[in-house]
Amino acid sequence: MARSPRAVSGAKRFRLPNGLDVLLAPRPDSPTASVWVWYRVGSKNEWPGVTGASHWVEHMLFQGSPKYAKGEIDRAVVEVGGTLNAFTDTDFTAYFATVPREKLAIPLGIEADRMTRALLADAEVERERTVIRSEREGDENWPEYRADEELYQLAFRHHPYRWDPLGRKEDIRSLTPVALRDYYRRFYGPKNAVLVVAGGFPRAEVERTVRRTFGRLPAVGVDPMVREVEPEPNGDRSSTLRGPGTTPLLAVGWRAPAIDDPATPSAVVLDVVLGGETRLFSAGASWGRSGEHPSSRLYRALVDTGLAVRATSEFRPRMHPSLFTVSAQAAPSVDLGRVEAAVTKVVGGIAREGPTASELADVRTKVRRGAELAYEGASRVGFRLGYFAMLGPPGFESRLLRAILRVRRAEVRARAAAIFATGRRVMVRYEPTGGPDVD
Amino acid sequence: MSTERTDPLVIARTVRSDGLTVVRQAAPAGSAGFAATYVGPSGWAYDPAGREGTAVLASLLAPSAAGRRDRVTLARELDRLGGSVHRHCAPETNEVAVTGPAAELRALLGILGDVVLRPRFESDDLERVRRQVLERQLREATQPGHRAERELLHAVFPSGHPYRASGLGTRRTVRAVRRTDVVRFHREQTSTAGGFVVLTTSRPLSEVERLVARAFDGFPRERPVRAEPSPRASPRSSVTRVVPMAGRSQTEIRVGGLAIPRADPQYPALYLANEVLGGRSLLNRLFQHVRERRGLAYHASSDLDAMRWGGYWTAQAGTGPERADKVVRLVAAEVRAIAERPIGSSELDRIRESAIGEIPLQLETAGDAHELAVDAAYHGLPDQHWREWPSTLRAISPKAIRVATGPVYDADRAVTVVAGPESVRD
Repeated sequence: MARSPRAVSGAKRFRLPNGLDVLLAPRPDSPTASVWVWYRVGSKNEWPGVTGASHWVEHMLFQGSPKYAKGEIDRAVVEVGGTLNAFTDTDFTAYFATVPREKLAIPLGIEADRMTRALLADAEVERERTVIRSEREGDENWPEYRADEELYQLAFRHHPYRWDPLGRKEDIRSLTPVALRDYYRRFYGPKNAVLVVAGGFPRAEVERTVRRTFGRLPAVGVDPMVREVEPEPNGDRSSTLRGPGTTPLLAVGWRAPAIDDPATPSAVVLDVVLGGETRLFSAGASWGRSGEHPSSRLYRALVDTGLAVRATSEFRPRMHPSLFTVSAQAAPSVDLGRVEAAVTKVVGGIAREGPTASELADVRTKVRRGAELAYEGASRVGFRLGYFAMLGPPGFESRLLRAILRVRRAEVRARAAAIFATGRRVMVRYEPTGGPDVD
Repeated sequence: MSTERTDPLVIARTVRSDGLTVVRQAAPAGSAGFAATYVGPSGWAYDPAGREGTAVLASLLAPSAAGRRDRVTLARELDRLGGSVHRHCAPETNEVAVTGPAAELRALLGILGDVVLRPRFESDDLERVRRQVLERQLREATQPGHRAERELLHAVFPSGHPYRASGLGTRRTVRAVRRTDVVRFHREQTSTAGGFVVLTTSRPLSEVERLVARAFDGFPRERPVRAEPSPRASPRSSVTRVVPMAGRSQTEIRVGGLAIPRADPQYPALYLANEVLGGRSLLNRLFQHVRERRGLAYHASSDLDAMRWGGYWTAQAGTGPERADKVVRLVAAEVRAIAERPIGSSELDRIRESAIGEIPLQLETAGDAHELAVDAAYHGLPDQHWREWPSTLRAISPKAIRVATGPVYDADRAVTVVAGPESVRD
């Protein structure tokens, strides 16, 4: 019997009058405390000309606010031994700091100060422009990043999921400080945020602190819901990229359900059968463990047979319909056409026959075990509580887990048939140019 | 109750009559998991000549078929128990670790014993990991970051030195490795002598010893006599290598040189110097001067790799090709400054207190804490090493740091590598 994720996390949830959702998860034994602020704002809220704004704001929230001049946020946390960072996704942006438990007041003060009053000064925005360009250039050095970016551009012609959260290169060059401040003032505030505090702290005392410091903030932040709907695909699309790399790379995507779609649990099971795990419920930091899954269908069909050195699937459900992806890196000297044919055969097989009873039992075991182990340490608790709060109402994680564990074989087969139906596929082939001498 | 029973910063160890060292560390309070690692003296320094890459192949094969289980059965059993096997191959050692729920410690330790002692090295598995290693060789050669690191180590260490290689061998040597080579390597290099089993758990040492004895039953006791590698390296003159890599977006910069072994008495002083230069997240000089003040790069940092036989230091940054020259000059200036000028007391205090303050963060999970125990065990550090680490750091003066840094961060002997787009330099 799986323990309920909610019971494991043991969190208290409440909403302040200004709209801020708060989750407090005390762990008396924990030597640390972890503070997370999640904004329901990500690249989905951008538009052409301001792509990358959410990510840029993420950088700027470390560059000064009324009580913390540039550099002081980093110093305040790191000097006491803490760690802090942030990340931007399509659907949300998250900021976190984990500190020794007795230093909890520091990150709470920082988050309250920058939630609505970050400075985003002109000079700092300009200086950060080259840092962000450099971050993107570093990612562009990886064929996997280039293939993935191309895949989403192919799949989406209207919905904002068509650009990467780092933003388009052209927009990184041209976005102005004024536009960035407008974006920040429009979306960032208690109404669009969730505050999570996890770790070693007295709950009543911290609840009073939170109500006092965050309760003073104005109730700002316009509705970040995106109403743009991507039309159904009307045929397969494909593209070929060429550039430096090791061996050919194949990235394939199919339209997949949104997180609140009743079809999502069966799509998650499909992901585990094909790729070996779901990152929604797995042990380990943040997105869980990664690695090889020799019992998965893609691994057996591509890696065991010598066609590929890596092969996996990924379905990370988002707020809007996104992609179910399969990626494979060809083995040296293997033509990408053979890899593509093998992928087609695997997805065709699961769509015709569904998983075996043994495969479904293994999926349930993995998901159940992953859910049990996912809440170790204050930082992981903060991550998971905030992540699921971004994607659904209270209790969403528990309901999703139960739904996944109830999925039947016929549902997986039907879901595979719907996802992998003809005319819904996007595909990127990455062909390396040249070749190094490694002898 | 004695301190080592409950304090994850204190380890307890016992050396068995067969030479195996068993180390026990208390799991952090409230931890739901455990971690166990076997550390064997079987890194790529011991690769047979002409078969370079054997140690890495053996390491990659570790979580494959073992004992009575084929590869898929093993994977399914790990999933059923909620465990994971991790492996890491380094110049000096091969490590195999297992993590999982504390309640499944006994069963998962049994799997670790099988994986370490009874790998089947099946031919199909060898061919699979051989393909993966050949692809990794290509990645090392074509990724600017990997390529710059490889070039740096080639320039710092002489031919034949175990730190010079990445362990991946060459296309020729990896293709030459036969199953019998891997089996022989495993047989000759896996023994109780010189090996460690480190366990992070709430169970007492006496029980840990029993569990280890049961899980590692049949451990070969004697290691065949073998020549230790001669890892001597001498500082060379300063050199700059430019590696043009067409079609890339970002230039990767590495500056580095020889350092000291982990057990050297000057290590704590050099550790602090590296933290000031580029090790301490966000506070370090490279990050502050290259990124925060000038906005020239996304990443800028430094590392100190101190191992048993020696070590090396690296300062690194990634930037656009048009800014590469400027960043190289800035990195070189910071390296020179750390060697030639005393670190101010307020800066040193900030960095030092940060390093001390982060200790609780290293105890969030059993897996986090375990890394401390493995480090202390392998390098022969005192049982109380991590408990005493704060006072060790507080005893280090700016003068002691200068004494330690002068011969190491020597700009006249540093190697600089710039790898990236062809337009990188004039």
